[in-house]
Amino acid sequence: MKKLALAGALALGLAGCSGSEEPQVLNLYNWSEYMPQEVLDRFTEETGIQVVYTTYDSNEAMYARLKLLDESAAYDLAVPSTYYVSKMRQEDLLMPIDRSKIEGFDNLDPELVNLDVDPENQYSVPFLWGTTGIAVDTADVESEVTAWADLWDERFEARVMLTNDMREVFHVGLRVLGYSGNSTDPKEIEEAYEKLTELMPSVRTFNSDAPRMPYLEGETDVGMIWNGEAVMGRDTLESLEYVYPEEGIIAWLDSFVIPKNARNPEAAHQFISFVLQPEISALISEEIGYATPNLAARELLDDSVANDRASYPNATDMINAEFQTDIGDEALQVYAKYWEMLKSGQ
Amino acid sequence: MRSLTQQPFRTAVLVLVWGWLLFLVLTPNLLVVGASVMTRDPGSFISLPLTLDAYRQLLNPLYLEVFLHSLYMAAMTTLVCLLIGYPFAWALSKVGKRNQVLLIFLLIVPFWTNSLVRTYALKLILATNGLLNNALMSLGVIDEPMQLLYTEGAVIIGLVYLLLPFMILPLYSVFEDLQEDYLRASHDLGAGRLSTFIHVIVPLTLPGVLAGIMLVLLPAMGLFFVPDILGGSRNLLVGNVIKNQFLDARNWPFGAAASIMLTLAMAFLMFAHRLSKRRIGEDGV
Amino acid sequence: MNRWLPRTYLTLVYLLLYVPIVVLVVFSFNESRTGYEWGGLSLRWYEALFNNRAMVQAMWNSLWLALSAATVSTLIGALTALALHRYRFRGKKVLNGMLFIVMMSPEIVLAISLLALFLLVGLQLGYVSLLLAHVTFCLPFVVITVMARLSGFDERLPEAARDLGASDFTMTRTVLIPVIMPALLAGWLLGFTLSLDDVVVSTFVSGPSYEILPLRIYSMVRVGLKPEVNALGTLLLVFSLVMLILSQWILLRSKR
Repeated sequence: MKKLALAGALALGLAGCSGSEEPQVLNLYNWSEYMPQEVLDRFTEETGIQVVYTTYDSNEAMYARLKLLDESAAYDLAVPSTYYVSKMRQEDLLMPIDRSKIEGFDNLDPELVNLDVDPENQYSVPFLWGTTGIAVDTADVESEVTAWADLWDERFEARVMLTNDMREVFHVGLRVLGYSGNSTDPKEIEEAYEKLTELMPSVRTFNSDAPRMPYLEGETDVGMIWNGEAVMGRDTLESLEYVYPEEGIIAWLDSFVIPKNARNPEAAHQFISFVLQPEISALISEEIGYATPNLAARELLDDSVANDRASYPNATDMINAEFQTDIGDEALQVYAKYWEMLKSGQ
Repeated sequence: MRSLTQQPFRTAVLVLVWGWLLFLVLTPNLLVVGASVMTRDPGSFISLPLTLDAYRQLLNPLYLEVFLHSLYMAAMTTLVCLLIGYPFAWALSKVGKRNQVLLIFLLIVPFWTNSLVRTYALKLILATNGLLNNALMSLGVIDEPMQLLYTEGAVIIGLVYLLLPFMILPLYSVFEDLQEDYLRASHDLGAGRLSTFIHVIVPLTLPGVLAGIMLVLLPAMGLFFVPDILGGSRNLLVGNVIKNQFLDARNWPFGAAASIMLTLAMAFLMFAHRLSKRRIGEDGV
Repeated sequence: MNRWLPRTYLTLVYLLLYVPIVVLVVFSFNESRTGYEWGGLSLRWYEALFNNRAMVQAMWNSLWLALSAATVSTLIGALTALALHRYRFRGKKVLNGMLFIVMMSPEIVLAISLLALFLLVGLQLGYVSLLLAHVTFCLPFVVITVMARLSGFDERLPEAARDLGASDFTMTRTVLIPVIMPALLAGWLLGFTLSLDDVVVSTFVSGPSYEILPLRIYSMVRVGLKPEVNALGTLLLVFSLVMLILSQWILLRSKR
């Protein structure tokens, strides 16, 4: 008995001193399925820095968590979409990126740097860009699907999947009604909500953790998907097709940012430089199917990837495409309210 | 002499326990109450002035629907648990003592197993290409796979599966205490089986029923990972709403108000439970 | 009453309770990746599990957390139970009530209230916040287990010890502790399991510096069917089964 009590006390004592000698760690906060394991392993091999990979499934969740943890947030690197870069920058949540420590920035597509969301890229370095379009499992869907509006077709009852992303889902609703996907008008948002409630009987599930999975698992046949997920999904399910809807796809650019309270900004800079190497950027794009903004990497891409319309859309695919922008907290709350009602309504 | 040596020990224990509960139970709950009457603030979560907006928002008919739906699913879960659990506990109390120990043990084994993993196992079974559909199709019972996953039913199945033991155990303990004398007396007084059941067994097992309801209904409103995994992020529970308000939408006052609703529900159930126990106490003696 | 009817019913319900667990265990040895079809016997998912460094780290973190949370809550819980049993003091009912409320509250309520507290006092979310939270929700269970043991115990023993001149502390150490030892162990094991299983509270009070297993599993499960989860679930099942048998054995032995 005494031994047991002693063991307990010992355990507590040890708990107190664990962590006195730690290897260098990089806390990477990223979307799920958004970085090949191989890249992390090679980074660790090269630098000795261990990467702790934690995931989120929406910009809102990432932002809320960073805000919530505030000073105790030990994340060294996060990957918000553009419209959250500007929001976080304005709210002083980010640390400026020291360009002198970044190698390979010049490889980036000039069209994707110096954007309004972050002039001069003081706070962000583009990682990947991509689109949200329609996925169709052609083995189960005979007729052609060409527009977002087609999802409302009765044939698809209980066979539709939407991403679990408030902005994206409302983007679709707004576009179908002919509005901008970045609308801040409460009237338009409400209309979109009503339009989307008509879709709800068809909606089987929301998924932003791995939007390809419900298609692969045979739960859904048609719906929203990110292009990279569609490319990855095709490996297992050949009949999975990526469609650019007539109303226009949703386009986004995700960038590395260093949160204000990062513990190891040094390692964060190293990681960004590591990813910016053309060879690594090419590897990422080939593995997970999203488009790299790194022009030097695009040269290295395998032809089958470089010519893949799903990963790298051509000019006609991008007609009507709309980039998501920051809509302000007030509009965000309107979206949030309808979003919750949408998801819990029957 | 003795009081001198015993006093420090007693004081130390009481200070430790009270300190822990005051700091980690009372204070946090007061904070939540406080947060629920503050104003939402995009920068620092909550700010003055004091307002009842969050509660007003809760009672907004559209939001109320969300809560009623969640309550409906939790209530269905509780009902199914009760319907399965009541006869189960009864049957269990009739089994020989030796086997009873083993059977109770078998009942709590799943409870000791990781609940996430068990929910995930249900997904394997319920999926369109899953085991249940495959089995039924190869047996020729159905031609087309049924859509089970990502439905309201799947969420209820998941909740029932996780919470059933919590219904059975309190029921089992009241059936254990149910004295044969009462039943015999009721029979001797000429009551039929049905009448004995309604007038004797049901009232005597009521505290167990209420305890079971309490142990099932409350968690059934909070286990947010079940709709996430089995409900396709639809068919949300109050727990999902609270979680979203805190970790996604950053509307703390609203999340806090929703959580207070849950607490009130708990208080109500506890009160009902106590009342039923007292009544039995008076009638029984 | 018919004898076979209740028995069939019991068997049926047990079957329903165990089918998912059996499926999990069987499929953890499945070679195939899809998760629905049988592709032959294989240990590849166990291998994959142990080759995943982040996973192994999370396992250790979780074990460590469960170990310390169970130990601390057993210590405090045992003292609380002793105080409730031995002493008369003002607010005893309130104390009892508070413990009952902690046990009954939906986890999510506890979770957000603790989160609010930790943010207010500026505690960094990580090991310490997890420990405080886990101890708090384990505490009432330990208290109840120990109280149950104490209530069936001969009151004359401590009196005798006192009469022989033992101080309260000595009496507690030499008489009470040995008596409640089995309950302490059972309570410890219960706390250990509760801590290892918790998702709801941990989701709110954990930080990036201390990743634990249930949250890892949660993010894996959300991504879709992953055979590694089957393997991990089987390991956890075996582990908790051992714990459970241990605790039952201790309780049964002590009754004799």
